[in-house]
Amino acid sequence: MNSETLNTLNSYSKNKYKYGFVTEIDDEKPKKGLNEDTIKFISLKKNEPEWMLDWRLKAYSKWKKMKEPKWANLSFPEIDYQDIYYYSAPKGFEKKPKDLSEVDPKLIETYNKLGIPLEEQKVLAGVAVDVVFDSVSVATTYKGELEKLGIIFCSIGEAIQKHPDLIKKYLGSVIPPGDHSFSALNSAVFTDGSFVYIPESVKCPMELSTYFRINAENTGQFERTLIIADKGSYVSYLEGCTAPKRDDNQLHAANVELIALEDAEIKYSTVQNWYPGDEDGKGGIYNFVTKRGLCAGKNSKISWTQVETGSAITWKYPSCILKGDNSIGEFYSVAITNNFQQADTGTKMTHIGKNTKSKIISKGISLGKSQNTYRGEVSFLRKADKARNYTQCDSLLVGNQCGAHTVPYIDSKNNSAVIEHEASTSKINEDQLYYCRQRGLSHEEAVSLIVNGFCKQVLQELPMEFAVEAQKLVSISLEGSVG
Amino acid sequence: MFLEIKDLSVKIENKNILKSLNLNINKGEVHAIMGPNGSGKSTLANVLAGKEDYEILNGRINFKDNNLFDLNIEERAQEGMFLAFQYPVEIPGVNITPFLHSAINSKRKRMSEEEIDNLSFAKLLKSKASDLGINIDMLKRSVNTGFSGGEKKRYEILQMSILNPDLAILDETDSGLDIDALKIVTDGVNKLKTKDNSFLIITHYQKLLDYIKPDYVHVMVNGSIVKSGGYEIAAEIEKDGFQKFQ
Amino acid sequence: MNIQDNYLKNKKNIFFSENKDIQTHREKLINIFENDRFDKKNNESLKNINLKNFIDFNYKYLIPEETSVINNNHENSYSIVSVNGQCSSFKDDKIEITKILDEDYNDFSKNDTIENNDHFVNLNSLFLNSGFKIVIKKNNNIKIRISNIITDDDLTIFQKNNYICEDGSSLNLIEEYENKNNSTSNILNVIKLEKNSQINHFLIQDNSPNHNLIITTHSSCKKDSTYIQKVYNFSEGYVRNFHYSELIEANSEADLQGIFFLKDNNTSNNKTFVKHLAEDCKSNQVYKGILKDRSKATYFSNTHVDQVAQKTEGYQLSKGILLSDNASYFSKPELKIYADDVKCSHGSTIGPIDENAIFYLRSRGMSKIAATKILISSFINEELNSIDNEQMSEIIQKKLVRYLSKVK
Repeated sequence: MNSETLNTLNSYSKNKYKYGFVTEIDDEKPKKGLNEDTIKFISLKKNEPEWMLDWRLKAYSKWKKMKEPKWANLSFPEIDYQDIYYYSAPKGFEKKPKDLSEVDPKLIETYNKLGIPLEEQKVLAGVAVDVVFDSVSVATTYKGELEKLGIIFCSIGEAIQKHPDLIKKYLGSVIPPGDHSFSALNSAVFTDGSFVYIPESVKCPMELSTYFRINAENTGQFERTLIIADKGSYVSYLEGCTAPKRDDNQLHAANVELIALEDAEIKYSTVQNWYPGDEDGKGGIYNFVTKRGLCAGKNSKISWTQVETGSAITWKYPSCILKGDNSIGEFYSVAITNNFQQADTGTKMTHIGKNTKSKIISKGISLGKSQNTYRGEVSFLRKADKARNYTQCDSLLVGNQCGAHTVPYIDSKNNSAVIEHEASTSKINEDQLYYCRQRGLSHEEAVSLIVNGFCKQVLQELPMEFAVEAQKLVSISLEGSVG
Repeated sequence: MFLEIKDLSVKIENKNILKSLNLNINKGEVHAIMGPNGSGKSTLANVLAGKEDYEILNGRINFKDNNLFDLNIEERAQEGMFLAFQYPVEIPGVNITPFLHSAINSKRKRMSEEEIDNLSFAKLLKSKASDLGINIDMLKRSVNTGFSGGEKKRYEILQMSILNPDLAILDETDSGLDIDALKIVTDGVNKLKTKDNSFLIITHYQKLLDYIKPDYVHVMVNGSIVKSGGYEIAAEIEKDGFQKFQ
Repeated sequence: MNIQDNYLKNKKNIFFSENKDIQTHREKLINIFENDRFDKKNNESLKNINLKNFIDFNYKYLIPEETSVINNNHENSYSIVSVNGQCSSFKDDKIEITKILDEDYNDFSKNDTIENNDHFVNLNSLFLNSGFKIVIKKNNNIKIRISNIITDDDLTIFQKNNYICEDGSSLNLIEEYENKNNSTSNILNVIKLEKNSQINHFLIQDNSPNHNLIITTHSSCKKDSTYIQKVYNFSEGYVRNFHYSELIEANSEADLQGIFFLKDNNTSNNKTFVKHLAEDCKSNQVYKGILKDRSKATYFSNTHVDQVAQKTEGYQLSKGILLSDNASYFSKPELKIYADDVKCSHGSTIGPIDENAIFYLRSRGMSKIAATKILISSFINEELNSIDNEQMSEIIQKKLVRYLSKVK
């Protein structure tokens, strides 16, 4: 760990959840609760065509008949879907700002606090940012440069207006609205999110990035992200999340769909740092996210990397459907839970095509009174000749009040496919701690260093800009439970 | 007195390991402790470094005017105590550079010295590594991970030369080293030797002491020091073994 | 016929139906059946089977026949032929065999390790019609061999056996299941190990295609005791091996191993579950399966480590070889850990026979079939070599040869 990281660590420890401020902006909301009127309100606000409204209403009618999925190892009070605002936009945003001077300075300040430089000059070299503030996309940087390459990078709302053919063809094609209740809910009420289209043979020259942020109180955030990589293209997409401190639990039910056509590659990285609740387990985000990628074409590849440190509850299984022959799915995950956090996360690799390969590396760290579960499913269907999977899940326990659980489902229906699965659970190694401390590192530094080392296999998959932030987050997440 | 161990008795899991042990080390001195397996040599090294598994029954240790028992593991290290481990533990995923960098800065911080920046540290590490014949590529690997026994020992000496301790304890550093590696390691130690620092060398065999000349040699048997003297004792042990001391 | 009607109609022949407590418990169980309606989707332990075959049975009650033989042929060695789940009473200074008693039923019904949605265990409790209890008295070293025989077609046996191994005693228990008729056995073994005792439990299963065997074991280990179970499944009919172990006191150990050989349309469901409830305990769960033709298997393993169970060591391994395109294997190795000072791990591999190994052997002049057979044998070599009983080793080798003779 370099001195810079240590300094940051120190400054963070003085201000435990740094992102826990609230931006005071008047917002405009429909009435609380979910019904057809709410959906019509959202659709009207977003000036959507009728086919989109119909799509939403169909999803809503499916949702009404569904129950929440129950497989996860989680306990939380029943969610009252009628006590949530489903739309919240800063006032005056019906018309999108043309440039930064039209944006409320308070918003800019918010993003500066988050460390996202919105002004193009300040943008980290090579990072284009599509910022979602509550439900409305505020500003998109680097748009012009991307347009030259034919890359479409905009809010999903804009894509519905401008690229209806792509939306009609792909939206819901990987995660059907009726898949489960959270996907139906999202399909009915999603407000914003990102849309990416990479044309044939184009390698996107920069990391595309979106920062989501839940600001308004009692607002559910339901983004919808759709990324399409056409034949032979490549894109790396980053998603970061923070949310302010609130005593109430907030619901977040995002859907992310990825489609990789022949020879295309999508790399999707997430650093999730939603508000986790306080030391007594009060407040925090309920994060029920559905992420699924379809390797539709031959030789395509989808890679998920996630660092999950936030949220009171994380329910998330970024998955790959390996349909194209020779396609590859990867899942790299670090999940850290502290205090009363609960995480039930993992992946699903469904091998359909021949010669498909998947790799799963999962690192879980449990502290405090938290529960951390890896849940993963690897299945080889009849036609998945010569398919391969390698899975490694390791859990680390710090303290004896927490739990670490590993629940893999392994299903093979093909006799030429090979599945290998390894898992281990142990506590932090006392000899390693002793060694580090003998060299002069404090107990807390030593734990942080060893945990970062434990996670390295995953962290090194992140793009540089993210890797540093992720390392800091790992250290911050360990605070208060060591010693 | 630089290091003073007085009447030290220590037990672990109901077994008395050290029994009324006394040892004084002054600045600039090199002491060697020799003894058969199970005589308590490594226990002494670990008790000095502050390992928490031991129960101190009696006695006291003063180190640079501190009561050593008032300091925890890292505080002792920051005060200038270094233990070169007999079996250095592997720490996967943790790179040596940031690891040693934060170690040296923790020490500097305690000593109210200015911290060393990234660049100067990288330079320092490279030059010390090449002094010890350590390949630069090895600096990119995780701490001790996948190293051979000899590589691990060289790494310990590299860390020692970076942290520049006041008291270095070498716990069986010669075990598992071939003659070439032994030369490199002992050369490294000899280069570090000044009139202001001290060494405590723990070993079974005389061979190491042919390369690092001790000022004093102590024979440890069954948890206490039974004989002290000069280098001639080492030769005596080489010839007749530990039998006659038991 | 519906469960409740079936139960009410046959109540008079079901064990302990006069007992109020047991009656209340059974009513609860019926309730679970009625409400759950065999929701296959939410009960993965019901994978690959047609439940209808198991719940639409004709309940037949047979008056116990006194044909069970107990033979103290050598010292400390006993042979039992259990006919239709029954065994005559017997007593000497080392062991005691009696019928199953009300109190044994109650004792078990309070245990919550076997979840109450295990329909087969619930059926066993509801329709109980046979079973016995064997007590090994203190500080004895005993061998028991039990052959289980069913006399009539269309019989469904609901059998509950209790084994108690008292302080300092050890039991070598070999159970053989080799039924050839069209029948179903639903057996629940409840095994208690007192302090410093040990049980080596072997189950050899080799039934014909029309016999279904559902066997569930619940063992609990007190201080310094060890329970070792080895299952060898060569059955051509459906077999369900579900084995639960609870380590309730310090320094106890559970070792649950199994190998199964499936062919044709056969199905086997397997589960091992070890609950660590005290410190310094060890567990081992290893299952290996070989599947050919259209056979299907599932294996669930679970290591549960309670908060107090520090210094736990738990190991799981699940391995499967698929010899055919149409065979399938589902495995779910779970770790649930609530203590921090633990070392737990699991590994799982499923795949074909290693092609490189086959190539290597063929290049040495071996035929493909011979190479395959050798590699199958080597896959389970460790398990076969660990059988220290010569007679048993021979029996199992023979069965293996029979299975391998069908490999093409």
